[in-house]
Amino acid sequence: MFSSFRQSMAWLHTWFGLTLGFILMVVFFFGSLSVFDREIDRWSIPESRFEPQVMPSFDEMLLPILRSVEPEVQDYNTNMPLLHDLSQGPMTPRTELPADEFWAYTTHRDPVLIMGVGFLVPQPLDPEGHNHIHGNITIDPRTGKAFPDDQLKIGSRFFYPMHYSLNWNWNRIGIYIVGIAAFIMMAALVSGVIIHRKRFREFFTFRPNKQTQRSVLDLHNLTGMVALPFHFFFTFTGLLIFASFYFFPVTHTQLEPLHDYHEMVEASETGLPHKRAGVPTEIASVDAMVAKAKQRWAEKDMAGEVGFLKITHVDDANSFVSIYRAGSDRVALVGEGMHFNASTGELIREEPPRSAVSEINEFLTGLHLQHFEHWLLRWLYVFGGLVGAICIATGFIFFVEKRKRQHTLQGSSGSQVVDALAVTTVTGMLVATVSMLVANRLLPAEMVGKGYWEQVVFWGSWSVMLLHAFWRSSAVRHMHISPAWREQSILFAVLAIAAVILNWITTGDHLLKTVFHYWPVAGVDLSLLVSSAIAIYAAVYLKKRENVAVNKAIEFSAQKLEASRG
Amino acid sequence: MVEVVCWIAAIFTTMMGMASLSLSLPNHWRQVTGIETSQPTPSQQNALRIFGYLSLFVSLVLCLAADHPTMAVLVWVMLLALAAKGVAMILTWREHWLKPLLLMFSRTGLN
Repeated sequence: MFSSFRQSMAWLHTWFGLTLGFILMVVFFFGSLSVFDREIDRWSIPESRFEPQVMPSFDEMLLPILRSVEPEVQDYNTNMPLLHDLSQGPMTPRTELPADEFWAYTTHRDPVLIMGVGFLVPQPLDPEGHNHIHGNITIDPRTGKAFPDDQLKIGSRFFYPMHYSLNWNWNRIGIYIVGIAAFIMMAALVSGVIIHRKRFREFFTFRPNKQTQRSVLDLHNLTGMVALPFHFFFTFTGLLIFASFYFFPVTHTQLEPLHDYHEMVEASETGLPHKRAGVPTEIASVDAMVAKAKQRWAEKDMAGEVGFLKITHVDDANSFVSIYRAGSDRVALVGEGMHFNASTGELIREEPPRSAVSEINEFLTGLHLQHFEHWLLRWLYVFGGLVGAICIATGFIFFVEKRKRQHTLQGSSGSQVVDALAVTTVTGMLVATVSMLVANRLLPAEMVGKGYWEQVVFWGSWSVMLLHAFWRSSAVRHMHISPAWREQSILFAVLAIAAVILNWITTGDHLLKTVFHYWPVAGVDLSLLVSSAIAIYAAVYLKKRENVAVNKAIEFSAQKLEASRG
Repeated sequence: MVEVVCWIAAIFTTMMGMASLSLSLPNHWRQVTGIETSQPTPSQQNALRIFGYLSLFVSLVLCLAADHPTMAVLVWVMLLALAAKGVAMILTWREHWLKPLLLMFSRTGLN
């Protein structure tokens, strides 16, 4: 089929890149936003605009709140019928499920505290399984007041899941699609280097004044190559983070007995009970255990705060408390776990120093999940992600530029469709994102289902951009630049400025104030303004190029006319 | 504060390293001299490469001075990408910025 290895690589790179590139574009862009997901949360929920707090007293504040949490209605309705064994009797009513697991999680960037309860299904179909119905709550750790459920944390609960699952949760299909796209990304990187290996001699080349096809390819190669280590490592570690998930079906089907056996062996080795004893007991002072854990970390010369706290088998004789250190000062994730007997408070187990393999694993996953505190590295990651986005977008444009003449002559609409889809995933995605932020500021805070409507605005405006892109794409057939690029850039610029102004009007937090007092919000506002300026520049530039393209198009149609006359 | 100084110095040295590596490539050397036929001599090429890699190494040391080693390596790798992109942009729109560097090496290697 192909006369050379390089040709076959080019085929792979072109067609897989084209089909999954649209997904990768979403992954790269929302990945870049996720670097600052907590900051976007602050922007979207003005009540949470205060400084990050350390974990408050568990005994006095958290435990009573956890006791008051109820199982989520939706989770109960969906999963209870699947987990409960009807032959043992009717389903336990939602509010009567006993709590089995408590957890609380905070980071150095989170003013709010996220907590959750895992409720036990008393008569499960599969007693060995993970029979939990969940209930979550977000509180203000200064007062213990809960944040309303309707407020969507746009950064960490919408943009971030967009990055790894496209927010498509039906059978977790989104996660699999992103996984396949990531796998193709690895192939695209390798094949790309093979196709363009000659480029290494002109590594730093970008010639914007050459014809579009040439300069776009320059930019594609340049952005692909300069950030090659970033692209490779992030794709690889992204796959690594989800590796256990992708192989999940195996451990819970064919290898199920082995999996269960492993859990039991692990329980006997660590001394952490695998199952409930069935004997009810009281919880001792967790604050005392936290103090002990902190003291132990200090002794090991790694004094720190609590990042994650979990109580397993709540109110049972086998209950234990696990306390993990917040890993804000290094790449690896929360760790140095200490496990205490919940009723006596004595230390059961201190996690031993990690083995080399697990340390490498934690480093690799940690470098992707970035729980550390390092503003420079965070911005460098944003840079890497956006460079990746440029690389993908220029790939689409190159595809169109290379083929549009030929497609037009053949009467095919291929490049027209690709161009419209490229508009949708580049400028259309930006418009959808910023529309969501505008909606967040316009919809009243006390509105019922506010988070739902914000998502409706996001998907709705994205769909409109798709229609707009297709409507305007006929220009491509006439060898013009589709005006949709320019029009959506302008729309984005206007909306981005509107978002900043609306933030000022609705919260009183204008830039002059936030720059000095509250960087998370100032950062979001400034990024919006800078993006808006770039979009305006792009629109002006595109207008110029469109005019040039019109002249060329006239030439082209003259040629075509001549050709048809013979 | 010390780490911020180290980072700024690291950004500068990585840019310097990438710039000098770019000049070691005949295409980019021509771009900066502006003379179609000019080319770095093999000894100039070597000098540029050695200086380039040395600068990158210095920037790694600066990163290590600022952060925990695991973090420093990540910062350094990302700075390499940033600097490469930055040098490419300079070569496109402000190639004369690299003239001083070029002069430094064209003198050493010139007969």
